[in-house]
Amino acid sequence: MYQFMQDVRFALRQLRKTPGFTLTAVITLALGIGANAAIFTLVHAVLLKNLPVSDPKTLVRVGDVDECCVEGGSLENDDYSIFSYDLYKHLRDNAPEFEQLGAMQAGINGGSITARREMNNDLPRSSRGEFVSGNYFQTFGLMPFAGRMIASPDDVEGAPMVAVLSYAAWQRDYALDPSVVGGTFVLNTHPVTIIGITPPSFYGDRMDDTPPDFFLPMAIEPVLDTAALLHRPELNWVYVLGRVKPGTALGPLQAKMNGSLRQWLATQKTYQTEDGKKTLTRTHVILTPGGVGIARMQGEYRSGLQLLMGISALVLLIACANIANLVLVRGMARRAETSIRMALGAQRRRLIRQMLTESVVLACLGGLAGLVVAYAGTRMLLALAFPEAMGLPIHASPSPAVLGFAFGLSLVTGLGFGIAPAWITSHSDPAEALRGSNRSTRDGSSLLQRSLVVMQAALSLVLLVGAGLLTRSLNRLEHKDFGLQTENRVVVHINPQNAGYKPEQLQALYDQIEQRFASLPGVERVGLSMYTPLEGDNWGEGVAVQGRPEPGPNDKVGASWTRVSPEFFETIGQRVVRGRGITAQDTATSPLVAVVNETFVKHFFPKGEDPIGMRFGLDGVKSSNEIEIVGVVSDVEYVNAKKEMRPMYFRPLLQHAPISDGVEVWSLYARAMMLQTKGSVDGLESQVRRTLANIDPNLTVVDYNTFDGQIHGQFNQERMIARLTLMFGVLALALASVGLYGVTAYTVARRTPEIGIRMALGAGRGSVVSMVLREAMLQAGVGLAIGVPVALLCVRFLKTQLYGSSGLDVPVLAGAMVTLAASACVAGLIPARRAASTDPVKALRTE
Amino acid sequence: MIELKNLERSYKTGHTETWVLRRINLTIREGEFVTVMGPSGAGKSSLLNVLAMLDDQWKGEFFFHGEAVHAMNRKQRADLARRRVGMVFQSYHLLDDLTVAENIDLPLSYKDIPKSERQALVADTLDRFNIVGKKDLFPSQLSGGQQQLVGIARAVIHKPDLLLADEPTGNLHSEQAKEIMELFRRLNEQGTTVVQVTHSEVNAEYGTRTIELRDGWLYRDTAGPEAAEVRA
Repeated sequence: MYQFMQDVRFALRQLRKTPGFTLTAVITLALGIGANAAIFTLVHAVLLKNLPVSDPKTLVRVGDVDECCVEGGSLENDDYSIFSYDLYKHLRDNAPEFEQLGAMQAGINGGSITARREMNNDLPRSSRGEFVSGNYFQTFGLMPFAGRMIASPDDVEGAPMVAVLSYAAWQRDYALDPSVVGGTFVLNTHPVTIIGITPPSFYGDRMDDTPPDFFLPMAIEPVLDTAALLHRPELNWVYVLGRVKPGTALGPLQAKMNGSLRQWLATQKTYQTEDGKKTLTRTHVILTPGGVGIARMQGEYRSGLQLLMGISALVLLIACANIANLVLVRGMARRAETSIRMALGAQRRRLIRQMLTESVVLACLGGLAGLVVAYAGTRMLLALAFPEAMGLPIHASPSPAVLGFAFGLSLVTGLGFGIAPAWITSHSDPAEALRGSNRSTRDGSSLLQRSLVVMQAALSLVLLVGAGLLTRSLNRLEHKDFGLQTENRVVVHINPQNAGYKPEQLQALYDQIEQRFASLPGVERVGLSMYTPLEGDNWGEGVAVQGRPEPGPNDKVGASWTRVSPEFFETIGQRVVRGRGITAQDTATSPLVAVVNETFVKHFFPKGEDPIGMRFGLDGVKSSNEIEIVGVVSDVEYVNAKKEMRPMYFRPLLQHAPISDGVEVWSLYARAMMLQTKGSVDGLESQVRRTLANIDPNLTVVDYNTFDGQIHGQFNQERMIARLTLMFGVLALALASVGLYGVTAYTVARRTPEIGIRMALGAGRGSVVSMVLREAMLQAGVGLAIGVPVALLCVRFLKTQLYGSSGLDVPVLAGAMVTLAASACVAGLIPARRAASTDPVKALRTE
Repeated sequence: MIELKNLERSYKTGHTETWVLRRINLTIREGEFVTVMGPSGAGKSSLLNVLAMLDDQWKGEFFFHGEAVHAMNRKQRADLARRRVGMVFQSYHLLDDLTVAENIDLPLSYKDIPKSERQALVADTLDRFNIVGKKDLFPSQLSGGQQQLVGIARAVIHKPDLLLADEPTGNLHSEQAKEIMELFRRLNEQGTTVVQVTHSEVNAEYGTRTIELRDGWLYRDTAGPEAAEVRA
C-alpha cells in the first residue's frame, strides 16, 4: 500500500511537470470517458434501472411485449401481455403464488384528465391520469409521502371517489401545498378527494417522458372515462404486474397461468368458433422480470441506445490509442530513468506496475473531468431525445451507478492505454541506455505507434460512414413527401370527453368550435378529427367487405381509421381523387359513409374493382353492408413514416354504425383540431385557449403545436442518433488526425540527422516534404484499406436505424474516405514542412 | 570474492563481430580497491557492466562469493546484484523528480523491507554523508559534487559487498573529485570492496591494485601474474 501511494505521488509529480501532455491527455480522456458516461446515464435510466420501489427483484410482469393501448379480438402471436379487467381479476384470483398481483392502465395519454382544484377559481388544466387496481401501491410496497395510498376498499364500485397525486405534480403545479391532501379536485367534471401524495422518487410503473399526475382506482374508470372499459371483457387495456412469494418457481407458475388464461378465454365469443378454438390452444402468457416495470420505453429506445454505446466505445478506443502513443513517446524519453531503476534493482514487474499506476492516475483524472462532460452531455442527450418532456424521471447528475461506471471505465482505460507502452519501455537494455541518455537506441515502439495510428484511422472511417448513413437517412425521413401540407398549420389537442360532454352534445360543440375558430383573425380553415397524421396515434379495425366470406384470424383485413370533419382533408392537403370527400350532409342521422385511401383500394380491391358504392363493416360479415364507400383520397402518412402505407378509411365525426361500432361511442369524440392560417398569426395560442375557455371552461388545451413541429417531433430519436454519431465521427477524426500528427512529428524529430544528411547531399524541400508525407499517407491508406471492409460489415448494426438505404451507400463511403484522407494530409503536412525547414548544419552537429 | 574465467563479450553488427572483452581471467579478493584503466574502447565499462550483472550477453565463467553467476537466469542475477552490488555512475543518474531522500531510498524500495526500517536506514545514511539538510531538495538544486555524493549514498545504503564506480569523478572539478575519492577510500577501509573505472592516474593512486585493459584484453595487473592471466 505504501509503495502504491509512493507510485501515485510520483505519478502526480510527473504529470505536474509536463502540463502540456497532461492537459492534452486529460481533455482527450474526458471527452472519451464523458461521452460514454453520458450515454450510460441514459442506458442505465432507461434500460437497466429498477423502479424505485421495495425489493424490485421479486416483481414479475405477466407479459413480455408492450402492446398498447386498447386491443380487441385475439392478440398478435396469441401472446397476452395486455388484459381486460375481468381477465385480470380471474388471473389474480387463481394465482395464490403472488403475494399481490396488481393491474394498471396500459395507455396513459396526455390530457386524459382535466383537473381543477375546487377552490380559488382555479382554472382547469390538462393532466395525465392512470387507473390502477386497489392493491397497486401495496404491490410496490410504497408508503405515501403524505396522506395515504389507494387501497382495495377504494377500488369498489360505489366507494367514495378518491385519487392519489404524484409528488412531481404536487411540487410542479401546487407548490407542495399541504392542503391539497384531503382537498377536492374536479376531475373530468367529477369531484374527487385527493387522499395522498406518492413518495418523491416514485414516477409510476414505467419509465415515461411524461409520468402520470393522478393515480385513480379502476372502479371509477367508467365514471371518468366515457370509454367505460372496465366492464368490457372483450377489450384488453390493462397491464398486470405482481410480487411473487419467496421460493416461487416461475416456470410452473407460468404454465399454471396459461391454463387459467385459456379457461377464461374459452368463455369469450372470439374463441368459440372453430378457428377460435384452434387459436385458444396457442394462447399464452410469458412471465418476465418486473423490476424495471412496464418496459415500453425500453423497447422503443433499446436499439438506439445500444448503437450509441457501441459508437461511444469506439471513440474511447480511438482516444486510448492517442494517449497510448503519447505515453509511448514519453516512455521513450524516460528510458534512462527506467534503466537507472533497473540498475538499482527494480524488477520488470515493479516497473510495469509503476507505469500502469501512472496511466491509471492519468485516466482517473480524465475520468473526473469526464464527469463534467458526462453531465453536460446527458443534458444535451435528454434535450435531443425528449425535447418536450415534462417530468422525465432521468437526471443529468451522475448517479452512484454512473460514478461507478465512470470509475471502472477509467481504470480499464488506464490499463488499456498503459500496458503496451509500459511493456515496451520496461524491456529496455539498462546497460545500453546508461551508456548515454541522448543516444537513440533501437526502438521497438515505432511499429506499435504506427499500428495505433492505422487503427485510429480505420475506426474513424467506420464512424464517419455511420454518421453519413444516419444523417442521410434522417434527411430522407425529414424531407419525405408525406402527402401533407404542413405550412401555416397548427394542431390543437382537446378532450371533450373530460369536459363532460355526452355524445348527443357533440354536434353543437363541433359546430360552435368550427364557427368560432373560423372567425378568428388569420384563420382560413378549421378541421376536426379523432387524431392527426404523424402524432403517434393509430386506431385500427378489421374490415369485412360485403360479398366476401367471413375473415379468418390469419386474413390480413386490418385497416387504420379515423373520423374527420368536412374541411379536414383540405386542411391537411389530402386530395380527393375519386368520388367525394366527407361533407356537412354526412350527419349522425344520414346514411353511413366512408372515404378510403388509395392503399385501401389496392389492398381490398386488387382486381381493379371500382370501390365507389362498395360497402363494408367492422364486425364481420353481418356488418358488411353498413358503410358505403363514397370517395377515394390520396395516400398521406398517418402512422409510421418509416413503414409502408397502411390501408385507411375515414368516417364522418358523428356517424355511429349500430353493428360495426356496437356500444362504442368514444370514437365520436374529436380530440384534435387543425387550423390553417394565412401566414404567421401573433398570439394565436392565447387566442385559441381563450376561445376554447369561452366555449366551455372545462375545455382545456391538451397540447398546442405547429403541424411541422408535430411531425418534426416524430423523429427525435433518429435526430439524436444521427447528430450524436456525426459529433462522435468528427471527434474521432480530430483524434485520429492529432494522433497522426503526433507520430509524424515524433518521427521527424528522430530522423532530424538523417534529413540533415539528405539535404546536405542535395535533397530539396519538396523531396523532404513528400518523403515525410508519403509515410503519413501510407498509414492513413492502410487505415482506409482496413476501415472500408470493417465499415461495410458494421453497417448491418445500423440497418434498423436506416430509412431508405440498404447500407451500401457509395457517396457516403467515398465522402468519408476523402474526408479522412484530407485530414491525414493536413496532419502530415505540418511536420513535413517543418522537416523541410531543417538546417543541415545544425542537424549534423547533433549527430 | 569475484572470479572471472575466460570471460568474453562481443557485439554483432550485421556480418561483423566486435569483441569488447577477450578471455578475461581475473580474481578480486574481498576488501580490495581495484582500479580499471585503459584507453577509450578498451572494454572498461563493459567489464564493469558484467560485474554489475547489468549485462548478460557474455560468455565464460563468473563466480561471485562462490556462486556461479554464469549458471543463473536473468532474474537470479538481478536478485543477487540487488542484494550484494552497488553502482556509482559518471553522470550520477539521479532521478530528477525524486528528492535526495527519495533517491537514496530507491534501492530499498525494490526490496521487501518494512517502511520503518527503510526510513531508519535512509536517515542513517543521510547522517553518515552529512546531507541531512538537503534531504528534501531535488537533484537540480545540488552541485555536481553533492549529486555524486547522493549517488554514492544511494549505492551503499543497502550495505553491498561490492561497490562499482564508473568514472565517478569524470564530471567533477578537482576539489570535489578529491572529496569523493577520500570517501571511497573510507568505505574501502570499512570493508567494502571497490572497483573503479577511471582515466585519472590521481584517482588510481587511491586504489590498492590497478588493472589495465587494451582492446578487450587484460594487459597489465599490478597484483602480479598469480592474480590474473595477463596477455603479453
